[in-house]
Amino acid sequence: MEVRDLTKTFGSVTAVDSLSFTVEPGQVTGFLGPNGAGKTTTLRMALGLITPDRGTTTIGGTPYAALPRPATRVGAVLETAFHPGRSGRDHLRVYCRAAGLPARRADDVLAQVGLTPAGKRKAGGYSLGMRQRLGLATALLGDPRVLVLDEPANGLDPEGIQWLRGFLRHLAHDEGRTVLVSSHLLAEVEQTADRVVIVGAGKLVREGSLAELREESAGTVLVRTPAAAQLTAALTGAGAGVEPTGPGALTVTGLTTEQVGAHAFAAGVELHELRARTSGLEEVYFRLTSGAEQYAATGGGA
Amino acid sequence: MDLVRAEWTKLLTTKVGYWLVAVAALMAAGFTALFTAFAGDQGGPQGQGIPPVGTEAYGALVAGVPAQVVVIAVVLGVIGTTQEYRHRTATPTFLVTPRRGRVVVAKLVAYAVVGLVLAVAAVAATVLVATVYGGARGGAPDWTGDTVGTLLRSGLAVVVYTVIGVGVGALVRNQVAAVVGSLVYLFVVEGIIASVPATADAYRWLPGGALAALTGDGRGTDLLGTWEGGLLLLGYGLLAAVLGAVLAVRRDVV
Repeated sequence: MEVRDLTKTFGSVTAVDSLSFTVEPGQVTGFLGPNGAGKTTTLRMALGLITPDRGTTTIGGTPYAALPRPATRVGAVLETAFHPGRSGRDHLRVYCRAAGLPARRADDVLAQVGLTPAGKRKAGGYSLGMRQRLGLATALLGDPRVLVLDEPANGLDPEGIQWLRGFLRHLAHDEGRTVLVSSHLLAEVEQTADRVVIVGAGKLVREGSLAELREESAGTVLVRTPAAAQLTAALTGAGAGVEPTGPGALTVTGLTTEQVGAHAFAAGVELHELRARTSGLEEVYFRLTSGAEQYAATGGGA
Repeated sequence: MDLVRAEWTKLLTTKVGYWLVAVAALMAAGFTALFTAFAGDQGGPQGQGIPPVGTEAYGALVAGVPAQVVVIAVVLGVIGTTQEYRHRTATPTFLVTPRRGRVVVAKLVAYAVVGLVLAVAAVAATVLVATVYGGARGGAPDWTGDTVGTLLRSGLAVVVYTVIGVGVGALVRNQVAAVVGSLVYLFVVEGIIASVPATADAYRWLPGGALAALTGDGRGTDLLGTWEGGLLLLGYGLLAAVLGAVLAVRRDVV
């Protein structure tokens, strides 16, 4: 899936601005950005629901709207939409019909997402988690190789999120499907995604593998010592960045806890605390996207 | 064809369609019963009264009853399209069928058939009540010639109004606005236009005037002829359909 130069303006707000990125086949790509960064608009443009002002999206070289039998190529969950008075199973049968698929696919996908017992109940009475499952089931009807999911974890309880992660991993890593999953939280895709595409205010901020991002986020080390000056000298001598963050407290960048410990030992400096600042990845994500939430209130979609 | 069947599945798996057909049959039966009960009543000083049972005029009056059901037909058509936007199922619908024009065409075809079912229900209810109740009061209409013609044209009007409803729904998209707007138009706006002398001339060119021409006895002075009226009504149906299809294709689905 290739996104090239997508641009969309709603009134005076540029929701998506010359956005280009690639989704690699057979991988899980996390599509990240704060609320209002243009994720939903981008996905809707990619799937032909919103006409972009400029730019194209192709899936295997073809725009979505020109795909023959698109349901068998790409499955998408953009929102959990169904008629509340229709049963989950009937909802799926409607789309089986429309996509020219055999009606038994409805039962297949219900089983796949573990919704068989609730299939005959009205969808209006489903819990949030069940709605998300029904949405996923709809996307899976045509057994597509590509899945596009917009904020699938929104509103799920921890158990639901756990299930979703496992399910996405299974779809991608066991069944080899290409998955593009958007989220405003890095932690949600951290365990599933191979690559990430990060957007802020409609622009591409970063595209690359999660491993690359991790390397970059080696993080910082916090040290407390009664001999701050002496330790600062020793650490800067070793090429690290050192910043005092309080009386007798230092923040060190560019070194691991082990290295800081070794330098302190060599310099004969007494340490009271030595720890790595965790969640370096989250930190990088936050840094990359900070200041990009300004469109949250007025932008078109999350 | 798959898409047309998908539309039928959508309708048959919710309750609204069954309800509206039932309401239409009840409405037709009720009006027919009312006309029959008061048949022969001379009316008030200015009233025109209702022709006695057994007369040709009674037959013509009763045969026009199914045309009252056009109100239900419009609502059914409007709901058929607007529910996709109301419940946001337009997204999965257009994802499965990105060529949106085909979805609208499928809806028009599917709902023309649904309108036919509605028409049959209304006509059947009318015929049943008029035959049984009218017969009991001493003169069921003889279902021949003109009377049958009026009956069939009333049924046709129901089908066309269903199609118009689908088009209106695609244009307006907001279900409440579309239903209320259609009803206000049918019950209020057309009535005012028809009764204000300055605009009364225009009435014959409106759907309501065309409907009256199609289902009346052809002797209404200010109306078009029966078949001109029918063609005009079909024209409105097509116009609504084409506008609805074009807009559905162009607008963003957000």
